[in-house]
Amino acid sequence: MKKIIITFTIALFAITLSNSAFAQCDSIATMCVKHMTAQFISDGQQYRALLLDQESAEFNATFYGNSTYRLAACSGKSDGNLVFTIFDKEKNVLFTNKDYQNAPYWDFKVTNTLDCSIEAQLNSTLSSGCAVLLISFKQ
Amino acid sequence: MSVASAFYGCGSTGDSEEDKPIVVIDSNKTDIINIGGALFSIPSPIQTSILLKKTGANYNKEILNSNKNSANYSTNFKKAVNMGVYGADLGYVTIYEQTQDAIGYLQAVKKMGDDLGVSGAFDAALMKRFEVNLGNKDSLLVLVSSAYRASDAYLKNNERDDVSSLIIAGGWVESLYFSTKIAKKNKGNKDVIQRIAEQKKALDNLIKLLTPYYQDLEYKEFIDALIDLAYDFDGIEMKYTFVAPTTDAKNKITTINSKSEIVITDDQLNAITEKVDKIRTSIIG
Repeated sequence: MKKIIITFTIALFAITLSNSAFAQCDSIATMCVKHMTAQFISDGQQYRALLLDQESAEFNATFYGNSTYRLAACSGKSDGNLVFTIFDKEKNVLFTNKDYQNAPYWDFKVTNTLDCSIEAQLNSTLSSGCAVLLISFKQ
Repeated sequence: MSVASAFYGCGSTGDSEEDKPIVVIDSNKTDIINIGGALFSIPSPIQTSILLKKTGANYNKEILNSNKNSANYSTNFKKAVNMGVYGADLGYVTIYEQTQDAIGYLQAVKKMGDDLGVSGAFDAALMKRFEVNLGNKDSLLVLVSSAYRASDAYLKNNERDDVSSLIIAGGWVESLYFSTKIAKKNKGNKDVIQRIAEQKKALDNLIKLLTPYYQDLEYKEFIDALIDLAYDFDGIEMKYTFVAPTTDAKNKITTINSKSEIVITDDQLNAITEKVDKIRTSIIG
């Protein structure tokens, strides 16, 4: 009986923790969506990852040529908490918001179709949190 | 490493360890995490429909999955994958400003969403806003894509990443199907042929996204068909040249100047067209 109670408590704790993390992601996503103005169309997905300390999340994407994209990257309760860097397939750095005060969003005019990866990391002031990335393209 | 080569042996029907798929996830960097394969972005099907219209392709209702078929889908697999298919169809009819068809497809999407338990994203308020904005294509596209993002978030919150992945997969297959149909009809449409060839990496990402669910028979058949298609994409030649980007910090915009060139032969295009047709038939049937 004691074993059942312990198992149940652990399961309940895990569910509560998981729900809390998802709730955190939701409120961050709501904040992040504000950076997507009406001229941008969402790609229909919400990318999220739970990060600890210096962990990074890697997002793999294809950006079509002759298109303009907006990337919004958010964590915590305010802008500037997520550092993101875009690499091409040869690992050349194409952009990092670290050079621009961790700007929460940036636009990218893509001339030729590009396969790339986006690495996101928490700002050093956060020890853990949900990283949310949104991708939209211009109409 | 390409997905097709990484999945060597997956096409067989055996149950041995050798036949099981190998999930290829970047392991070179130990501090990088991938959660549930959710970190693979698949381009929006709406972008392809925008390109089709730009190249002068005429509206063709025949290439869409009839919204009447929405009553026929009984399994969650079929409902989810066709929610993606209908989303791509809705994007297509909206871009071509076919308002009556758009309402029919929105209802098909709503039905799939209701059946899957994601009705919150396609609720009465959205349906009303859609009808109010029927004459405004740009607003409709924003509404629909935002509703899909909301349902994606809802599914991930509820740990239903499998359903989320299928919706994305259905949309991707449908938009590739549009492209192959139009490329077949108009062989000189180089932009559309190029767009087909550009799906190589997206297909790799899609397979990685679905692979965690390979044990389920419906997924297995679908993933095997996508892997088979990836073999044809593997033959497409891609050249990439890095060119330093330029940034306009004041306007928060960076221009990516790198060059890419893709070479796809007629044989490759024909093989892809044939396989996409079969995959699409199997998911909408």
